[in-house]
Amino acid sequence: MKRELELDDHKLDVKELEVKYSTSATKGLSEAAATERLLRDGPNELRPPRGTPGCVRFGRQLAGGLQCLMWVAAAICLIAYGVQEGEGDRGSSDNLYLAVALIASWSFTGCFGYYQEFKSTNIIASFRNLVPQQATVIRAGQTLQVNAAELVVGDLVDQGGDRVPADILLAAQGCKVDNSSLTGESEPQTRSPECSHDSHLETRNIAFFSTMCLEGTATGLVISTGDRTVIGRIASLASGVENERTPIAVEIEHFVDIIAGLAVLFGATFFVVAMLIGYPFLRALVFFMAIVVAYVPEGLLATVTVCLSLTAKRLARRSCVVKNLEAVETLGSTSVICSDKTGTLTQNRMTVAHLWFDGQVHAADTTEDQSGQSFDQSSESWALLSQVITLCNRAQFKPGQEGVPVAQRDVIGDASETALLKFAEVTSGSVAAARGRYPKVVELPFNSSNKFQVSVHDAGPQQLLVLKGAPERVLERCRGALRGGEERPLDPRWRQSFEGAYAELGGRGERVLGFCARWLPAGSVPPGTAPEALAEVAHGLCFAGLVSLIDPPRATVPQAVRKCRTAGIRVIMVTGDHPITAKAIAAAVGIISEGSETPEDVAERLHLPLEQVDPRQARARVVTGAELAAMAPGTLEHLLRTHPEMVFARTSPQQKLVIVESCQRLGAIVAVTGDGVNDSPALKKADIGVAMGIAGSDAAKNAADMILLDDNFASIVTGVEQGRLIFDNLKKSIAYTLTKNIPELTPYLIYITASVPLPLGCITILFIELCTDIFPSVSLAYERAESDIMHLKPRNPRRDRLVNEPLAAYSYFQIGAIQSFAGFTDYFVAMAQEGWWPLLVLGLRPRWEDAHEQELQDSYGQQWTFAQRRYQQYTCYTVFFISIEMCQIADVLIRKTRRLSLFQQGPFRNRTLVVAIVFQVCIGCFLCYCPGMPNVFNFMPIRFQWWLVPMPFGLLILVYDEIRKLGVRRHPGSWWDRELYY
Amino acid sequence: MSKETKKPFRQSMAEWRQFIYNPNSGEFLGRTAKSWGLILLFYLVFYGFLAALFTFTMWVMLQTLSSDIPKYRDRISSPGLMISPKPDTALEFYFNRSDSQSYSEYVTTLQNFLESYNDSKQSQNIVCTPGQIFDQSDAAVKKACQFNISQLGQCSGKEDANFGYSKGTPCVLVKMNRVIGLKPEGEPRIECTPKEEGMVNINYFPPNGVMDLMYFPYYGKSLHAHYLQPLVAVQLAIRPNGTKEEIAIECKILGSPNLKNQDDRDKFLGRIAFKVLMSE
Repeated sequence: MKRELELDDHKLDVKELEVKYSTSATKGLSEAAATERLLRDGPNELRPPRGTPGCVRFGRQLAGGLQCLMWVAAAICLIAYGVQEGEGDRGSSDNLYLAVALIASWSFTGCFGYYQEFKSTNIIASFRNLVPQQATVIRAGQTLQVNAAELVVGDLVDQGGDRVPADILLAAQGCKVDNSSLTGESEPQTRSPECSHDSHLETRNIAFFSTMCLEGTATGLVISTGDRTVIGRIASLASGVENERTPIAVEIEHFVDIIAGLAVLFGATFFVVAMLIGYPFLRALVFFMAIVVAYVPEGLLATVTVCLSLTAKRLARRSCVVKNLEAVETLGSTSVICSDKTGTLTQNRMTVAHLWFDGQVHAADTTEDQSGQSFDQSSESWALLSQVITLCNRAQFKPGQEGVPVAQRDVIGDASETALLKFAEVTSGSVAAARGRYPKVVELPFNSSNKFQVSVHDAGPQQLLVLKGAPERVLERCRGALRGGEERPLDPRWRQSFEGAYAELGGRGERVLGFCARWLPAGSVPPGTAPEALAEVAHGLCFAGLVSLIDPPRATVPQAVRKCRTAGIRVIMVTGDHPITAKAIAAAVGIISEGSETPEDVAERLHLPLEQVDPRQARARVVTGAELAAMAPGTLEHLLRTHPEMVFARTSPQQKLVIVESCQRLGAIVAVTGDGVNDSPALKKADIGVAMGIAGSDAAKNAADMILLDDNFASIVTGVEQGRLIFDNLKKSIAYTLTKNIPELTPYLIYITASVPLPLGCITILFIELCTDIFPSVSLAYERAESDIMHLKPRNPRRDRLVNEPLAAYSYFQIGAIQSFAGFTDYFVAMAQEGWWPLLVLGLRPRWEDAHEQELQDSYGQQWTFAQRRYQQYTCYTVFFISIEMCQIADVLIRKTRRLSLFQQGPFRNRTLVVAIVFQVCIGCFLCYCPGMPNVFNFMPIRFQWWLVPMPFGLLILVYDEIRKLGVRRHPGSWWDRELYY
Repeated sequence: MSKETKKPFRQSMAEWRQFIYNPNSGEFLGRTAKSWGLILLFYLVFYGFLAALFTFTMWVMLQTLSSDIPKYRDRISSPGLMISPKPDTALEFYFNRSDSQSYSEYVTTLQNFLESYNDSKQSQNIVCTPGQIFDQSDAAVKKACQFNISQLGQCSGKEDANFGYSKGTPCVLVKMNRVIGLKPEGEPRIECTPKEEGMVNINYFPPNGVMDLMYFPYYGKSLHAHYLQPLVAVQLAIRPNGTKEEIAIECKILGSPNLKNQDDRDKFLGRIAFKVLMSE
């Protein structure tokens, strides 16, 4: 695939082509031939990179580390059931129930995960189907509108101002195309029927698929479609780049491995212990299984998925569509953003930025709505200049837009003229009216050899010649200059002022145009004069002023960049644009901060040759693509380390990939924005690829993890903020989820070692994990940030883990321990109040579980049948369950904050959490008191006071955690902080 | 990508060894001795506090409980039935009437069981009025009613030391689980029915398998230390055609509306099923 595509169609003439593709350059293909070819070649679309088949992905959902463990557990249950059944031991279908429950719950979570994944892969598909592109095609001599997907090789296409629907060899007429999605250069390029270059990429007579036809029309033959187009080849190249695993995926995998390992370790230890104590093998195996079930946090993966998708939804409301759920969190750990300039940092439209007349620079309004032009318009010079601007302009508004604000109107014409037209409309009123007053007589459009545009207008008794163009060329034709509305001869002082203004505006990266005019006697240029003759007439003009144009930064960007800076994120600009423009925009948005200098600036300031400048003195650096290409390996990393503020200009998209890789080698988590097809390798390589929703090509969107619907850099920053928030909240959520594993596990440990009747059943555990506790843990995703998270450095993915040692220790050994004590207290209370005193209960298990023992005496001499004891055991399960629930309410409250006091955060501020707690209690009540529960899910209606027993422990959790947080806040860096802050 | 590169085995082993004991920093399992000491002390205090709290809670809870009557008795509102002797394996009697060894275990069990019903042991027990509940809730000392073993007739062990096992008329004692405060209504009696008719004749001692109300209610083992459960002996006179075949028998408590005997999930609530296989 990496082999360059060999194409020589462009060297053939139309006749040869007609033969090669058996078509006609005038009539096109016949319908039948088109249908046949469509069948042969397939539709003219870029095939999305081949995804993994659905069943494999589904299988993967069911075969993760934890899942495998649970399958083993289910298998053990089934085996145990089978053996017991084989021994004729009826009534022990508990194991069967459990196996079914396990399989059902894991199938459910698997389906859920698959559904989430499926949904996110479909987002991109829906994007594509949004607007099916139309193409005008001539078949059998008739002009038709067809779906672009139905084009075939040999079709004769009539291309107007739209996206080029396939690779087209021009046969007649000419147009201008924007090849930026292919090559990254945004200058429009001319396309005409002549073959101008040997390489098919350089020649003028091929218009490429997915590029934009800006102006003109062309008729051409389709020479390749779909994946066989030049862009299709690049897109399929991108699918060859490995997708990096997202940091959160690494985190979760790492963590799941540990959990699974610990579960097996625990299980195996107690299996051995049980065997040593003298339990039969099968029983010990069931113990092993039960411990695994108790220890594994079944609900965790679902919680994480839901939390991430909630954030993704929240982001979608702010114009970030997240394709890959895990990308949300990656965004939060981003430490470098490589951003495009055009469209992302800037508004992607030329706007008048400055004017120079009367020897002064005036700033124009460059905001997005261009409401107020506030410069001084009282000067007489301005009157003439504005007239020149209005008249010397070929652009015009598309009709029927009277109600639309000027800034948003569609214009026919190139970018600079559009800017001037809108500027004129805003400052001097209706352009159309002015043009009506001064009808155009002759005009010479801009061309690259003249570098100016000139036109002559009738103005009553006189004629007005207006000219605009490159300032130095304009000046050559001037005799005088306008000052205070009067023409004065060009003197050296004026020239100096002119040079100064020109250099200043040019140095800001602005495109500067000079304007001049001259009054001619009426009839000096009669209608029908050849335009070329105007160049001769246009001499001895009067210089009116300079206007500079720029694609101005978006209003929200400087603030967003500042936010990035305080958040410790480095913003690197990577653009195909000119270095000076790039630097100017970088300075305007704050990527190069005030006071930062490039080595060139330093050299100028110290009057040193550039080579002698110590690079460490320069914070900023602008690197061009050519320099980059000439660099030795490793130099780029060195530069990135030396200069905190980097701008890459004139870079090709391939170099973008190099920049991304260099940043990654320095250990950064890199977010990259891109829109062109050839950005897709970089987008894939980046830790998080961000595609532009408006300007972005399908291939870029395919390769990206996230799509910005408004193309706005500020949206990325919002994403970063959300990503950081979700990382914090996931931490809280996981801590909450992990805590209850201890009170789930200890009943088994005590059951095996102290031989008490089982305090908590496996099915009950599954209910806690997958039913009641899911809602509070998800609701933590709605928790607002504790502090200003955008003032912290991005987390170091190697050091700041999602689950760290203090988190596990605090959850497991402290809060979990308190919860276990709560559960056992309630358990012993429920047993004692029903007649089984604690000391009797210890060691009771063998007789308690003996199905032949129908007259077991309690502490009061009463005799219990086996079934009566079993219901008592279910009561214990329920009591233990309620204890865990009560403590988990306290747990979810303490997890709201890691450092702040609960009262600083507001205990009921998070409404979702309050609702979740209420809901959790309601489910608890339902499970306890719904008739039929005892025999279905082993829940018994329990007495009211057994709800109260665990509450002091819940209170203890709240108080203890407040003490912990107080210590953490008061003594940062202390032993307490190190051991107890997670 | 760099995350994927595997470390050489030796290096990872060295890292592990470093983790277990790092001679440079004196760290054992990632902590120095002082750090271990502190954290262990912390957990000692922490768990000590929790254990103390737990013990205290238990103590308070036990203070609220009466040692005479359990706080709640709703889990066992209705008593279960049980038999004596109780074969080790499920409730299946296998014996050969001509082989005393095969039933000696049953006989010994019965003898031991009836030991506590000996007249000598019942000297403190009083004679109660038959046919009515013996309510002593006001009395400080609860008396137990005498259960005269002779009521059991041929199954008392006095007439036949082998309880009929040698004659093909084995005796089984049916008793009802002790439940504090239980007052049966009506006239409770035990009735046993074989699954198949015609293989066995069933005799009851006392006649009709009556359980006299005077033995109820029970006041718990601390107040009612000498209490004896009423017994019903069931004598199975196995007919010649019933030998060598398993006879399934189900005994139920009847005649008392508040004693359940039909619970789906508890096969021993007011009923009991057992099997007898006698060979010759």
